Amino acid sequence: MAETMIRLSNVTKIYGHGDGQVVALRDVSLEVKKGEIFGIIGLSGAGKSTLIRCINRLEVPQRGTIEIGGRDITKLNGRELREARRGIGMIFQHFNLLSSRTVFGNVAFPLEVAGVDRAELRKRVKELVDLVGLSDKLYAYPSQLSGGQKQRVGIARALANRPGVLLCDEATSALDPETTKSILNLLRDVNRRLELTIVLITHEMNVIKEICDTVAVIENGQIVENGPVVEVFANPRTSTARRFIKGVLHTEIPEEIRQRKLIVHREGCVGKTVRISFIGQSAGEPVISSLIRRFDVDVNIIYANLDLIKETPFGSLIVEIVGPDDNVEGSLQYLADQGLKIEVLNGVGPTGLESAG
Amino acid sequence: MVWDPRVWSLLVEALWETLYMVGVSLALSALFGIPLGVLLVITGPRHIRPNAALHNILSVIINAGRSIPFIILLVAIVPFTRLLVGTSIGTTGAMVPLTVGAIPFVARVVESAILEVEWGVIEAAQAMGATTWQIIVKVLIPEAMSGLVLGLTITAVSLVSYSAMAGAVGGGGLGDLAVRYGYQRFRGDIMLATVLVLVILVQGIQSLGDWLARRLSHR
Ligand SMILES: Nc1ncnc2c1ncn2[C@@H]1O[C@H](COP(=O)(O)OP(=O)(O)OP(=O)(O)O)[C@@H](O)[C@H]1O
Ligand SMILES: [Mg+2]
Repeated sequence: MAETMIRLSNVTKIYGHGDGQVVALRDVSLEVKKGEIFGIIGLSGAGKSTLIRCINRLEVPQRGTIEIGGRDITKLNGRELREARRGIGMIFQHFNLLSSRTVFGNVAFPLEVAGVDRAELRKRVKELVDLVGLSDKLYAYPSQLSGGQKQRVGIARALANRPGVLLCDEATSALDPETTKSILNLLRDVNRRLELTIVLITHEMNVIKEICDTVAVIENGQIVENGPVVEVFANPRTSTARRFIKGVLHTEIPEEIRQRKLIVHREGCVGKTVRISFIGQSAGEPVISSLIRRFDVDVNIIYANLDLIKETPFGSLIVEIVGPDDNVEGSLQYLADQGLKIEVLNGVGPTGLESAG
Repeated sequence: MVWDPRVWSLLVEALWETLYMVGVSLALSALFGIPLGVLLVITGPRHIRPNAALHNILSVIINAGRSIPFIILLVAIVPFTRLLVGTSIGTTGAMVPLTVGAIPFVARVVESAILEVEWGVIEAAQAMGATTWQIIVKVLIPEAMSGLVLGLTITAVSLVSYSAMAGAVGGGGLGDLAVRYGYQRFRGDIMLATVLVLVILVQGIQSLGDWLARRLSHR
């Protein structure tokens, strides 16, 4: 187990007072491990921005503690807070670059703030601009850059003081899908190379799927689901999580396959349509071929779908298994024993297995 | 009307006096007005250094300053002017009321320019651990620079016309020339020439300000 980098305990944030009071965060607790990419997803108004902004105290919560590297950020005085903030990078949906400064000047800003000397500053800025692939734009002004390039400047700026944590507030929401991908790749790259802990918020499950290790689902100011991304994708417990996942994984079964009837091919033979869902290594073909050999059944692949969650393959396969009743039952049991999640879409499956709904 | 070569030298001298009065009082009013405007903004509710008491006091003083008609300010502060520069007449005597009158104007103009700075950029600076002072000198002023230049241009234009008024009570400059020769001695040609010079001066100031503001803007 990696050590904890960020720990929020019972954080409550209320905006306004009296009748106009909005509880933006309600008793939120969560833990971010060192070096992971932690995604927070939720619908508009769920409290995502509030949550991430509490981490560097751009918002001050009414209750709860927020520890970063073991230090409670809610208890720091002004000077200590500024010091701590230099160790926490942040990037924004609308980039928030200084329009009066060039790329160089923008990346230099946090170094000037931290009092880094001129020579070191120049060297560091060049390295950072290089890291984000903008060396040819060193003296361009933000107004001369595309959205994706602006966000690269934002990332270089956020990394200037070698922070241990990077906060991303909807960092890709203003970008097109292609640019989003390249920015996410850059984030994944710096996460690995610099052993950086990243917390990002988004309303796009796609972002979570691409780069996150852990996901938390936030709804009405509360964390309703939280765990490794593959697990949440495999077994979403809340309807909100299911809705988000549905949008990015095409796990919906085509209607005509759903409608397939239990087919009796010949005397004593049965054909069952089965959905096999898999995550990671226990995937696909070897299982199918050994199934055919062991149980002497025919397997027709009707529908297949494969996707990646970060680097983990994730998908489902719909097959029709045809053979003598006992053999078909035996194959289903065998598949279940392999740790695959199976669902019989027609007929009645073996006990304990979920039937198609 | 006969064109008198002496008119030319009178005009040139008066123009220099006006430029001197406007230049010095613009610089001095900027020196006091800019910090005042910045202070007004940052002490505002939900800004980087909220301080309701200070904010309200500044606001009241600035409004009071702006509501006093210049012609009244001119005579009302004569004792103060004498105390400060030893005389209440001439270009030097005129610069004190001009500066005092322009400070609250500059403060408001600076306030509106700085309020234009995107809040997200200020917040980004806070998130990077910038101090209040660093935010003022590295974010607020540079980001608002082109707005500040336009605001100071408006101030300069107003100062030109106020300086003419100050000139009327013995302050020298183009206004003084127009009143003394053009009005009191019925020299229509001098009156006309003075007005012409004023129009050109104001046009020049405005064009210079616009050009500078455009150059400074990287939006
Ligand atoms: N400064 C504020 N003053 C008052 N209410 C606020 C403020 N900021 C946010 N809220 C309220 O708090 C709740 C959570 O807002 P928040 O911005 O954290 O949501 P979000 O999940 O980031 O939404 P979005 O996806 O639209 O950005 C909302 O009901 C919002 O109206
Ligand atoms: Mg938000």
